[in-house]
Amino acid sequence: MSVIEVKDLTFSYDGETPAVQGVSFTVEKGSYTTLIGHNGSGKSTVAKLLAGLLEKEKGTIVIDSMELNDENLHALRRRIGIVFQNPDNQFIGSTVRDDIAFGLENHCVPQPDMDGIIEEFAARTGMTAYLNTEPTHLSGGQKQRVAIAGVLAMKPEILIFDEATSMLDPQGKDEIKRVIMELHKESGLTIVSITHDVDEVTGSDAVIVLDQGKVAMTGTPREIFAQSDRLKKMHLELPFALQLSEQLKKHGVSTGDEITMEGVVEALCRLHLNR
Amino acid sequence: MGNFTLGRYMPLDSPVHKMDPRAKIGAMLIVMIAVFFPSGWTGYGILFVIAAGMILLSRLSFKFIWKSMKPMMFMMLFLMVINCFVIKTGTLVLTLGSFTIYSDALLQTAYIVVRLLLMIMITTCLTATTKPLDMTLGIEDLLSPFRKIGVPAHEIAMLISIALRFIPDLIEETQKIMKAQESRGVDLKEGKMMERIMAILSLIVPLFVSAFQRADDLANAMEARGYAPGETRTRYKVLKMHRRDYILLLGAACVLACMIWLSYFR
Amino acid sequence: MPIAFEQVSHIYSDGTPFRYQALYDIDLNLKEGKITAVIGQTGSGKSTLVQHLNALLLPSSGTVYVLDRKIEAGTRPKGLKSLRKDVGLVFQFPEYQLFEETVLKDVSFGPKNFGVSEEDAAKKSLEVLKLVGIDPSYAERSPLELSGGQKRRVAIAGILAMDPSVLVLDEPTAGLDPQGTIEMMKLFKRLNQEMHKTILIVTHDMEQVYNYCDEVVVMEHGKVKLQQGVDEFFSHPEQCIELHILPPDIIRMKTMLREKGFRIGDEIRDVQALAKCIARQVKHG
Repeated sequence: MSVIEVKDLTFSYDGETPAVQGVSFTVEKGSYTTLIGHNGSGKSTVAKLLAGLLEKEKGTIVIDSMELNDENLHALRRRIGIVFQNPDNQFIGSTVRDDIAFGLENHCVPQPDMDGIIEEFAARTGMTAYLNTEPTHLSGGQKQRVAIAGVLAMKPEILIFDEATSMLDPQGKDEIKRVIMELHKESGLTIVSITHDVDEVTGSDAVIVLDQGKVAMTGTPREIFAQSDRLKKMHLELPFALQLSEQLKKHGVSTGDEITMEGVVEALCRLHLNR
Repeated sequence: MGNFTLGRYMPLDSPVHKMDPRAKIGAMLIVMIAVFFPSGWTGYGILFVIAAGMILLSRLSFKFIWKSMKPMMFMMLFLMVINCFVIKTGTLVLTLGSFTIYSDALLQTAYIVVRLLLMIMITTCLTATTKPLDMTLGIEDLLSPFRKIGVPAHEIAMLISIALRFIPDLIEETQKIMKAQESRGVDLKEGKMMERIMAILSLIVPLFVSAFQRADDLANAMEARGYAPGETRTRYKVLKMHRRDYILLLGAACVLACMIWLSYFR
Repeated sequence: MPIAFEQVSHIYSDGTPFRYQALYDIDLNLKEGKITAVIGQTGSGKSTLVQHLNALLLPSSGTVYVLDRKIEAGTRPKGLKSLRKDVGLVFQFPEYQLFEETVLKDVSFGPKNFGVSEEDAAKKSLEVLKLVGIDPSYAERSPLELSGGQKRRVAIAGILAMDPSVLVLDEPTAGLDPQGTIEMMKLFKRLNQEMHKTILIVTHDMEQVYNYCDEVVVMEHGKVKLQQGVDEFFSHPEQCIELHILPPDIIRMKTMLREKGFRIGDEIRDVQALAKCIARQVKHG
């Protein structure tokens, strides 16, 4: 069952050159979908349109069989959480506690219920020890975890990550990727992640490739990476395992359609043993 | 930055720190009014003792207060010079060639200086013991009765708290841009007029660009989390008045009454 | 002339409650004409270290030697301006330093500050713009109209226009897409090989370290933990684990294959050579 249905979406910032044009895709409920494409391909624009932060020019966005329009915008915002790239510019409160409370206040959650909700989601993102900490004393990864907690507290069904790890150091990236993965597995949240991280793409359920404001390809990671020539033309990175498989093919060795390093190594071991 | 103490919050643990910001703001306003009554030296003496008592109760050091006053020193000196030139009544105190200083000039200056000192002591008692965020909450609550006549109390408070939240970030950003431009040969300390203008531009333009970027990101983040100006929302931080807060307000009212009595009914 | 740190410590806000020591007795020699990567976790002192190279920060104790100049703790360095010209420092997200009306004016800003004539500065600027891959037709456009990647290139051109002999880059590829990252790193490699610039790159990306750098300096808690050639550094997988570093893909692949009994030589550095080596073993046992 699809939870997001986008049809013929068009938008431009200046009214002339479209940033996205005729974009259509669906996202399955409970899936981990990655959205890839080089910078300027329209990924972030799509994310902002989904979250209702930009007003579409043409097309329809259906979230959970409800069409996004001016009337239900506020209600739908609660069901779609979005985490942005820059950890500093989305931290609104003066402490972690206040920041998580911000969304609750906006959605008129009764005050006596707030502490319980705040503590629950701080725990889910591993931020319990920092509840009264100010943002200047937090690392980038910790700030992003707070951003996730703040969004989760509104109990959304869909979480969008707009390059949420790209400004973090390797430790921060790992932290956030782990938190997202856990959320996806444990609570069955639908995840839409805009990313440049090949490993994340490889591990996702479905991939949408954007190029110059249009959908270039959709499919499972295996299906997408099978068309490596097209990806190369769009200047997108291929997983190392795939690069190796292609080289091996030139020497007459086939490792099947494996796209992970572990998969390729296993395939090679089988070939090696059969000799 | 490190030496600038006027208006700075001091994270200490004292009974005054625990008081409700609304009570503190209210009491401060009342006592401020009291300072302006011409209650004479007796009145100022009483006010001084009360202000000093509050400072002690706040666990602030007098050194801290002294540091807060320093930026005002120049202003006070300037005031005295002006007064000496303008006021020529009372008895002659000093003659320096053709220049004369009269007693009223000194007395007037003393009055103003004492009031200024009292005001700094009282406001410091508020700002040094109240977290910026609690202060905005207090202001919001105090302004909310005026919402009916169109005062956007919540929006004002939101604006102040966001400004406070981003001041450290902007200071860091400024330092970073300064360093980047210094690496390109900018000398912010010396140079010809034209060079200095360019130096300042090279700092201000990027700062504005980044501030706008920040504002844009922030607006998106707030909107995405359901914020809409003017909509009803609940509030996480609820202020509660305790007995000590009422006592504070009552005390402030007594001080005001006392000053009025000293000024007019004695 | 080498770049050297001798017993360098740096303390921020000394004598205040915010005192923070970022560097502890650093001894370090950097080779001329090489690309050196400075790696380490956030807060390990990398940025503080590199800001000593053009005297933006002065040592609290110890001495820094940079290109014939001696920067000692407690003295005001002489020839500061010429040092800043000779050591070009590119900060993280350098696009935030753009401020002029046109791309050309912005790139010329640095050289003009160092006394180069308007004409020569413009000539040099067009040259470096071409070098970083910005078409000359952009010269008269406002830098604020450009895309993120283009802005980054213009900002780097602004430093290159000063013609520094040492180039220091603090996470130059942060926030770029993979394609942009590769192009940027290729540019630095060219600057190093064709124009013999000494380059120092602060980075978290091990693929960059492996593919483009000659030496690695590992910082940890304000100290230099390790300084090694890149190949030697990555030839000890256990050392990477100890330092919490995820090695580049090819190194991880080689380690995995070796564990399964494949014989993979140390000299294999790229995917083509690796494929050839594996294919031979799979076919002939």
